[in-house]
Amino acid sequence: MRVKIIIGLVTLMFLFLIFGLFNLEIIHGRDYRELGDKNCVRLLAQKGSRGKIIDCNGLVIADNKLSYDLMILPQDPGSQDKILAKTSRVLGKSTRDLALEFKRGYISKSMPVVIARNLELKEAIALDEARIDFPAIIIQPNPVRSYPNSKLACHLLGYLGEIDRWRLTKLEDYGYKTKDVVGFGGLEEKYDYYLREEEGGMSFQVDHRGRFNRNLGFRPPVNGKDIQLTIDIRVQKIAENALSDRRGAVVIMNPFTGEVIALASSPRFSPSDFLSQDNAAVARLFSDPDAPLINRAIGGAYPAGSIFKVVVATAALENKKINQNTSFLCQGGVRLGKQEFKCWSVHGSQNLVAALTHSCNVFFYKTGLLVGAQALHDYALKLGFSRTTSFDLPYEKAGFVPSPLWRKINKFQNWFDGDTANLSIGQGDVLVTPLQVARMMAVFANGGYLVTPYITKVIDGKYVVKHRRKPEKLNLKPNTLNLVREGLRGVVNSPSGTANILSTLGITVAGKTGTAQAPPHQSHAWFGGFFPYNNPKFAICVFLEYGGPGYNSCVLAKQIIGEMIVQGLI
Amino acid sequence: MRNSLVIILIIALLICALSILTIFSCTNQRESKAWQTIYQRQMLWVILGVALFLIIANINYRRFWDWTYLLYVLALFFLLLVLFLGSVRLGAQRWLRFGWFNFQPSELAKIVMTIFLARYFSRKSAEDVSLLSGKFGIFRGLMLPLFFIAIPMGMIIEQPDLGTGTLIFLLFISMLYLTNVKLRYIFVMIVLAVLPLPFVWHLLKDYQKDRLMVFLNPNIDPLGAGYTVIQSKIAIGSGGLFGRGWLSGTQSQLRFLPEAHTDFIFAGFSEEWGLLGGIGLLFLYYLLIRQGFLIAQRTQDHFGKLMAFGISLMLSIQVIINVAMNMGLAPIVGVPLPLMSYGGSSVFVTFIALGILVNIDKTRDVF
Repeated sequence: MRVKIIIGLVTLMFLFLIFGLFNLEIIHGRDYRELGDKNCVRLLAQKGSRGKIIDCNGLVIADNKLSYDLMILPQDPGSQDKILAKTSRVLGKSTRDLALEFKRGYISKSMPVVIARNLELKEAIALDEARIDFPAIIIQPNPVRSYPNSKLACHLLGYLGEIDRWRLTKLEDYGYKTKDVVGFGGLEEKYDYYLREEEGGMSFQVDHRGRFNRNLGFRPPVNGKDIQLTIDIRVQKIAENALSDRRGAVVIMNPFTGEVIALASSPRFSPSDFLSQDNAAVARLFSDPDAPLINRAIGGAYPAGSIFKVVVATAALENKKINQNTSFLCQGGVRLGKQEFKCWSVHGSQNLVAALTHSCNVFFYKTGLLVGAQALHDYALKLGFSRTTSFDLPYEKAGFVPSPLWRKINKFQNWFDGDTANLSIGQGDVLVTPLQVARMMAVFANGGYLVTPYITKVIDGKYVVKHRRKPEKLNLKPNTLNLVREGLRGVVNSPSGTANILSTLGITVAGKTGTAQAPPHQSHAWFGGFFPYNNPKFAICVFLEYGGPGYNSCVLAKQIIGEMIVQGLI
Repeated sequence: MRNSLVIILIIALLICALSILTIFSCTNQRESKAWQTIYQRQMLWVILGVALFLIIANINYRRFWDWTYLLYVLALFFLLLVLFLGSVRLGAQRWLRFGWFNFQPSELAKIVMTIFLARYFSRKSAEDVSLLSGKFGIFRGLMLPLFFIAIPMGMIIEQPDLGTGTLIFLLFISMLYLTNVKLRYIFVMIVLAVLPLPFVWHLLKDYQKDRLMVFLNPNIDPLGAGYTVIQSKIAIGSGGLFGRGWLSGTQSQLRFLPEAHTDFIFAGFSEEWGLLGGIGLLFLYYLLIRQGFLIAQRTQDHFGKLMAFGISLMLSIQVIINVAMNMGLAPIVGVPLPLMSYGGSSVFVTFIALGILVNIDKTRDVF
């Protein structure tokens, strides 16, 4: 009896073991197999290099260099501490910081964790040698952005950083992932999809101590696509040097095609600060009252000042409110209702060309009142104000031109003649960007076409120019164009012109100055124009924020154009 | 009866063949030559084991009756020796070095205790088939054998080798049960064993406590004491129905599974051979053990009968404990899987035990 019980028990135990086997291998088999694979399979990502950004002559603006990242394969805690101790000795960082970095970057057991970036070559070699004792250390060479010209064209480029939540939700469908490095501002953001590299990588098997056993698979990384710009880096350099960290912007473009040759904004920042994860430097950039991250050439909208008189002149001539012989008497001011509107000087009798030359306010008050506010607004829009230029950098401001209708609807206020007078000299609510001014000047340089400015010429070996909007014919009368051009020429040419200083350059410049009131600060200084006069090659806009009278911008323009002549760039 | 010899030998050799294949698979990835050729040593143990098996099969098992106390003293002597001179490996002092052979006396103690218990509960005369122990009082039926068993058991646990100690204790209880010792004695015995457990807890080594805790929940220490259980379960589980194939098990080949060629060879085997292989192996063991029980049942001689039961039980308990611990169903103790785990002592002792079995079957007709 007892024998049978014992044998039965043993048999039962064997059945129990078989059931246990079935439970482990069939019911939970898939989970355990996955765990087994996780044990021994490791993934190592390999980055390609981001697309290069080069100027119109093939000179590099944003390049890539190799940087070395320190990664470690997750280990059991004991050997992990040893590895951290070793690396902290080599890098001179505290073990705690490294452990923190490890915890932050940990994804899964099968993925190596980056604990230090941008190693010195010396450190990289030292750590690579330590791999003999610590096979879990991986030194990964990664291409990272480098800026051979340091701050040059920083606003055009933008900077690189880890993707933020907002961008991630927007771009998830395009294959973006957390921790991707993406562009912020400038070309890096706008053309990120082309510039970005495709990550490749390898999977391999390791043994229980994390030592490489054999390769399982490999996908080569794909480099990003290069972009060639219309920017001439030499002109860009001249413009940025001239600005020399004063707040302001310079735009130089081809008036016929809209190719932007230089687009400078100041003060500048160093895009490499964002790569080195120098948090203090980045924080300083964001809190700087001078706002160095703003691209003032497109992202800053300022009162236009006398530059706007060109719009008034065009509107008046087109609407036949005046002709070349119409003249008004400037006695230093004009009275509208109860208010006295002043001119900055007493000019006497002025016709259109003289009024442009001297920037006479009285002439334009009266002309503006003849034309009417709504027509002024319409012509301003026709010349490209109050809307973006469709330029290919992000965060472009549209600016603003007021109109009676707008005021009625939005402010519940009536429009008075005084407002028209203010609008006629570009004061009041008028806001324009330096790029818009340069584009308007291009209209008078190229014979009446509104161009679409652009900055990218070639993406991945393909010319993208043909996909751009054609210059738009504004159907201005030849007479209008000629008169305004004459006036702009007079500004420089005439001994009493406001930009006479530019007449000594040895090249014929035409343009218009502007001094935009910005109480309580100093006024903004504008100069917009084109050169050479008879056969224009460049449209230019120089702007100094709170830079004083327009004269200051003329000095800067002279410096830039003079340097371009010296370097033979014209 | 030639028949049982052939059957037992064939089954044992089949298991040994699987053992050598698995040991080869687990170790061929290692760097050193010594590791890579370890399967050849196992082959040698098997050949020597078979020789021992054939020799023992021709020695009349009644001789063991006479040699019992000699063997008992010999086993105690070796156990004593190992306490003082044994070589320490994996934190335990279980081995005696004889030249190039590491001998594990606790393995020997298993079979000697089986013989001892069989002798103790039977009479010399083969004619009297009635069982002695039914008439034993609590002293002769329980206390005295417990005393004899407790000495080697204590020495083995002291090594420390909780597994073999427990094995001998379980063997003792099941033999008691088989020999018709009154059930209430056995209950007394179990109560006596269970009552002091809370106090024994304090006497356990730290690693033994860890293992017991980890048995209850392996995840409390996944990289320390629980590591082996987790890796072993992963190895078995990732085998699936057909296994990953010979030489393709990542857990054992890449050494995530510790002791894949000894105590955890079942996990290494299951990873590569899957559920079908695992069931096949268990079936082989079951056939082997069943042979043992059949021999015991058809043997009239009291001593032979008890010894055959003892040997079968010894094998069953080892297989059950080892496989259960591989699957995480029993705490981790150092019990090898007979004929599968690498190791000369275990192979020899198992073959000796099988040899005795065969001889019992052969000689019983004489009486």
